[in-house]
Amino acid sequence: MMLSTSSGPRRPAWLGPLIAVVVVYAIFAALTPDTFLRTQNLLTMARQTVVVAICALGMTMVIITGGIDLSAGSLVALTTVVVAWMLQSGAPPAVAVAVALAVAAAVGAVIGTLVGKLRMMPFVVTLGAMTVLRGAAKGLAKEQKIDCETKGLETLLSADVSAPGLWITLALAILVALMLGYTRFGRHVFAVGSNEAAARLCGIDPARVKLLVYTLSSFLFGVAGVMELSTLTVGDPTDSIGLELDVIAAVVIGGAPLAGGDGSVVGAVLGALLMTVIKTGAVHNGMPSWTQEIVTGAIIVLAVAIDRARHGKGRR
Amino acid sequence: MSAAADTPVLELSGIEKSFGAVSVLRGVDLCVRRGEVHALLGENGAGKSTLMRILLGAERADKGSMMLCGRPYAPDGPGDARVAGVVMVPQERTLCPDLTVLENVVLGLEPTAAGFVRRREARAIAERALGLVTEVGRRIPLDVRAKHLGVADQQLVEIARALAQGGAADEHGRKGMAARVLILDEPTSSLGHDDAARLFTRVHALKAAGLSIILVTHFLGDVRAHADRYTVLRDGKVRGEGDPKTTPAERIVTEMLGRELSDSRDVTHVGGYRGTEPIDEAGAEVLLEVDALGGRERPRKASFVLRRGEVLGIAGLVGSGRTELLRLIAGLDDKAHGTVKVHARKGVGLLSEDRGGEGLMLRRSIADNVTLSRRGPFVWKPKEILAEGGRWIQELAVKAAGPWQEVGELSGGNQQKVQIARLLREDYDVLLVDEPTRGIDVASKAQVLSLVRELARKGKGIVLVSSQLDELISTCDTIAILRRGELGPPIPAAEWTEEKLLLEVSS
Amino acid sequence: MMKLRGHADRRSGWADERRARLPRRALLCALFAVAVVACKDKTQAGGSGGAPAGQGKRLKIAVIPKGTTHEFWKSVHAGAVKASKEEDVDIVWKGPLKEDDLKAQIDVVNTFVAQGVSGIVLAPLNDSALRAPVKAAVAAKIPVVVFDSDLQGDDYVSFVATDNQAAGRLAGEAMAKLLGDKGNVIVLRYQEGSASTQKREKGFLDVIQSKPDIKLVSDNQYGGATTESAFQKSESLLLAHKAQTGAVDGVFTPNESTTFGMLQALKKSGVNKKVRFIGFDTSDKLVAALREGDLDGLVVQDPFKMGYLAVKTMADHLRGKPVEKRIDTGARYVDKASLDDPAVKEIMQPDLKKWLGE
Repeated sequence: MMLSTSSGPRRPAWLGPLIAVVVVYAIFAALTPDTFLRTQNLLTMARQTVVVAICALGMTMVIITGGIDLSAGSLVALTTVVVAWMLQSGAPPAVAVAVALAVAAAVGAVIGTLVGKLRMMPFVVTLGAMTVLRGAAKGLAKEQKIDCETKGLETLLSADVSAPGLWITLALAILVALMLGYTRFGRHVFAVGSNEAAARLCGIDPARVKLLVYTLSSFLFGVAGVMELSTLTVGDPTDSIGLELDVIAAVVIGGAPLAGGDGSVVGAVLGALLMTVIKTGAVHNGMPSWTQEIVTGAIIVLAVAIDRARHGKGRR
Repeated sequence: MSAAADTPVLELSGIEKSFGAVSVLRGVDLCVRRGEVHALLGENGAGKSTLMRILLGAERADKGSMMLCGRPYAPDGPGDARVAGVVMVPQERTLCPDLTVLENVVLGLEPTAAGFVRRREARAIAERALGLVTEVGRRIPLDVRAKHLGVADQQLVEIARALAQGGAADEHGRKGMAARVLILDEPTSSLGHDDAARLFTRVHALKAAGLSIILVTHFLGDVRAHADRYTVLRDGKVRGEGDPKTTPAERIVTEMLGRELSDSRDVTHVGGYRGTEPIDEAGAEVLLEVDALGGRERPRKASFVLRRGEVLGIAGLVGSGRTELLRLIAGLDDKAHGTVKVHARKGVGLLSEDRGGEGLMLRRSIADNVTLSRRGPFVWKPKEILAEGGRWIQELAVKAAGPWQEVGELSGGNQQKVQIARLLREDYDVLLVDEPTRGIDVASKAQVLSLVRELARKGKGIVLVSSQLDELISTCDTIAILRRGELGPPIPAAEWTEEKLLLEVSS
Repeated sequence: MMKLRGHADRRSGWADERRARLPRRALLCALFAVAVVACKDKTQAGGSGGAPAGQGKRLKIAVIPKGTTHEFWKSVHAGAVKASKEEDVDIVWKGPLKEDDLKAQIDVVNTFVAQGVSGIVLAPLNDSALRAPVKAAVAAKIPVVVFDSDLQGDDYVSFVATDNQAAGRLAGEAMAKLLGDKGNVIVLRYQEGSASTQKREKGFLDVIQSKPDIKLVSDNQYGGATTESAFQKSESLLLAHKAQTGAVDGVFTPNESTTFGMLQALKKSGVNKKVRFIGFDTSDKLVAALREGDLDGLVVQDPFKMGYLAVKTMADHLRGKPVEKRIDTGARYVDKASLDDPAVKEIMQPDLKKWLGE
């Protein structure tokens, strides 16, 4: 699919992560060709990327505005709990999902208002939200995992290529990418992250842009939460602790500077995929968990270091 | 002057420097004597900055030699230069706003015992340094945070810091010489007339104390009034030197520009814009009515009426509330009282004085910057945005590789054009133009000002704020004085002369 | 694929330079992968990894614990290695990356299914959430043996575990005896939704609540996944119930991390030896505490046996031998007196070095 215009030979930001994914995949495939190349393995990796990838779509928007959202993991857990709780109380799955997504978007609207209108630091606001939402999830679940009849939601990430979750993820990625690249709102998102004062000067209301960005991103975290529930089949208030860091890592590997003003949806999704490939490759090769953590961490730092070297040229 | 005063402190000969294929300095000789103010003149890109960076050790010359007090001088970094007594006050402010004056002055050279700052000694250092830059009987308080000082005082603190730096021991414990050469880079660009004059009295005092001062500046007036000698750089070569007091201004300008004075500069001394279509006071449509407008601090009271086709100049010292007035009108800050009535259908646009901080997204492309707008189609293809950017590059003759080039990579004048292009694209009826010529070269200045005139001719209403009085007189229809937050009545520009304006503004 | 970064393209001076740099990023990633492989080889030499796949029809069994850092799981690992040597099969030991991370464990199971191992031996972190991946494994003709904690449904071949409720009752009875059937008792639970510890807690509470003079002052607090979180909870719990004034007579904790956390908290509050304290599971430090008298008793499972039997059962099943659906690996109450009993010693301090080669 070529959405790109023939606007010049400039290398896109996601090329680096793409090469990295291909190279790492090739290495693992060479090491364990009998298992790593199986279609089933590809599908498993795709499924395992879904949650981080959907979150990364939202986080990319937030990071482009120069913000950060640390509450992603807690919100995913809260969403699993809300959906499970609704299902347990007899709601049909569509209603349960709709309510959970509405809750997620509402959370985002509150965060967006605090960050936009009240000009509070996103780090602080979402740090607080992280704990508040985690507590809310535990309270709603009465400090238990909520067992529920998933009523078909578990098929969202079924084990074949027709799994709706995969296609929903792809569709959302395209939508968000188009929104950022081709719409007026998308341009305003970049403008607010590049130079908020300049955006204000041009009549753009940064508070409104941020409100929308945080609402949309939290909505996406909610979608990721529904996918998570599809995997877990229980509402788990202790789920996804530290997920936000994986998500931020994916976005950063995808070439977005935390200072804002830049970022790539495709890069972020590839960043998420890269981490899954490493994780899966580690299992296939029988590598102990700690090596996998070291490698993932090193790749994050490396990606940023290379980006720095690239941009730092000629600047001080 | 005694014979000792004539011995050169600093002698540069045959300095050459190129970056890649671009040759920036092509054999520069410079001689700075003890106790003199030596002005270094030249347009943007003439090589002044590079030469100063070499002096400070931030760059190494490809060829040539430097002598400091008769000894070879080859600094290997700013630390070396500092130890040798060569220090600089850069153009942009570098104070830490939340540290006190004392902490700022001794920053990096705090005397310590076992890691703890020896407070009394630090205070002594700061007092000594500040004593050099303030008049007798006037003190800058040491324990006030830097951000609470006025711009002029901040400038003095910067100089004090530079002086304290010179001669301080470096991180290897080498004890250095006291400051001998002080480089001031555009020291008055952010100062009003009064403050600039005060600054120069201090410069003269430092000179009398035996310090050599290199003054890098665009202001020919300052040079003629305060410098003992000047050197003009153009295209990496020395094109003229001499005593600015005896050299005619026209000659210096010719040396800088490499051509005869253009007409646009001549206008400055004639006074008053003489348009072909005089404004019909009663007839032209009123675009903007400002009545008793006041902000939280400044301005206190401003009233005026702006008509279609009019350029209203606002003259005032730094700190008189010029920028604040424009921001209030544009609705960027909250007003405390008064009214702003905009009758213009297409609204009010502001050209910010702070290009990098507020006006432009430096890390994004020209096309992105030009087309940044609240309005615009819901879906807009990148290709079309580029085309739009390209169109404006042509329109305003922006010197750029293409619409995809990052704005941060452009020169000041071209950045300003990008900012103007955005305003033109929005097609505002009223333009509030704040210091449009700050930090851009002479040729761009003339272009920007004639553009302002052209826009007025096409029916825009323009409010122009500038520290350059000659610009105001040559460009505006009427000029109002903003003094301590209060705006005077607009008076036709033809009735002003530079001297009169200066007198009014600074009285 | 697509150019989605939106904003207009910029071509600039350093575009060419970037072109030259990009492959370097890929190259560095490759270097990392090589480093990873180096790590992997070392591990294999250490004996915990399986032999390379694809050597004829050698059985390859994936063993998935709940975590990898608790002492308990190291004993399970040793037992599993012992069984793999006896049965001549390969095992792959792989826990969730983060200790007690449910999603991560599900991912690990799915990955092994995708990889196509011969069989999976699993200690499920949640009794319902792991059902779907186990079902998927069975659908892919990969049998599953569940150990340590129960799983809903009957998709698995066999369940190899301690009877946790009985073990909890063992602790309850010992506590009742220590307190002479009267006093105030605290239970610090382990974690929400952990089936095995919930059963232990229930067994303990069943006994305690049958004694009219024993008062339960707290049983709704959870220590959480780590020793650190358990320690913090314990400290505030002891403070809240005024343990220093002697208002608490007995404490029960249902696993190793809560026991160790509580032990630290009791010592720090200066009420160790004053409060009767029964824990669950074992480690070197807990044994030392038992000798010191800071701990009155421990209910110990036999993790070594559990790991051993789980792998052995799987191997038997894969070779067509019939296996029991429920295998109890037993539990034992140990106090200072019985500590040197050889039978106890073997359970408490299996020879990890011999099997894990550490």
